[in-house]
Amino acid sequence: MNAQYSCLVVEDSPMMRQLLVVALSRLKNLHVTEADDGVDGLRKLATGKFDIILTDINMPIMDGLKLVKRVRSDPTHKNVPIVVITTEGSNEDRQRALQLGANAYITKPIQAPQVIAKVRELLRIEA
Amino acid sequence: MTEKKAPGTSGSDRPREEVTGELKEKRDAFLHTFFRRGAELTEELVGENRRLREQLGELEKDNAALKTHLASDAAIRDLLKKIEELEREKARLLSTVHAQAEITNRFAEIESELESFANLYVASFQIHSSLRVRTAVRHIRELLVQLVGARRLAIYFVDEGDKHLSPIAADGVDVATVPVIDLREAAAPASAEAIVERTYLTGVPHLADTDPIASPAACIPLQLENRTVGVIVVYSLLEHKKRFVAVDRELFKLLGAHAGGTIVSAYLWGQAGGRSPSAAALRELCA
Repeated sequence: MNAQYSCLVVEDSPMMRQLLVVALSRLKNLHVTEADDGVDGLRKLATGKFDIILTDINMPIMDGLKLVKRVRSDPTHKNVPIVVITTEGSNEDRQRALQLGANAYITKPIQAPQVIAKVRELLRIEA
Repeated sequence: MTEKKAPGTSGSDRPREEVTGELKEKRDAFLHTFFRRGAELTEELVGENRRLREQLGELEKDNAALKTHLASDAAIRDLLKKIEELEREKARLLSTVHAQAEITNRFAEIESELESFANLYVASFQIHSSLRVRTAVRHIRELLVQLVGARRLAIYFVDEGDKHLSPIAADGVDVATVPVIDLREAAAPASAEAIVERTYLTGVPHLADTDPIASPAACIPLQLENRTVGVIVVYSLLEHKKRFVAVDRELFKLLGAHAGGTIVSAYLWGQAGGRSPSAAALRELCA
């Protein structure tokens, strides 16, 4: 069965990435593409079409804030909902991400139901 | 010659006029009585008629009242019937609501179990995903931070020769500031070092269950071949993490059983230059 929605997960930690992928695998009709960092994320965005992006903030090479800024200035993807994943206490990063155009944030340690609910909400998928 | 008597006359010899007058009087009296009695009878009949009419009116009123009463009785019966139906409907709805609540609770439990399984799956996958010491230890630290919600932690390994527990890695705290624990001397009672030492010596995990959670929040012995080779110490948790949950305990069990082996395997693999043992050597060891 073909996926109805496409999601890009940008996260440098393999463990966090796997956690997100496992959580999102519970959403039917959602295909997940993984990227190691912001640059890899942009590469994947250049070659594909995505309905939602989940990105970590602290990443090597290109962080999540820069990625949000680049996505919002790209005419092709400027309207794609973005969820940033932040750590506790990084309130400034969270605010900055929202100012740059992120739609929502999730705080680590992540909980699968929270991730699923946020993606459902932004993609308007009924439970 | 004998004189024939007129009929109706007494035998006396009263004059005819006298007898006639008497008869007339009797007739008048009779008529008077007759009409008087007739009038009285009529009056009685009229009175009786009035009384009967009044009685009829009262009966009609009673009848109307009874009819109303009967109608209201029927309405009450209908209402009672309706109440019964509503009671049945209420019982049915309550039972549905209870069933729904049970399903919701069960669903929440399954959700929680699914999340636990997902976390354990990822943890077990990641813990064995690298045979480089640095990466293996980083994965263990990440598991503690990302899955358990540890803010400050250290991983101790035993130096069996020197009888010391030494920190090999830390998160949220400078590893250089984490104290080495001398196993030949008893640490100060109730200190974090004493709890770490006890965990190492007994092989029994320590989990603080106080509120707010005390430090160290957890000490997990790292087991390898029925020996304890180190201890994971979680000094404190993230602010929004108030207590350990069931899956944390399962993750601690997993780390206690596998983290020591992973670190030692990664070290030995590095020492061996990343070379796999020959099949012949393995066969010999399996025999």
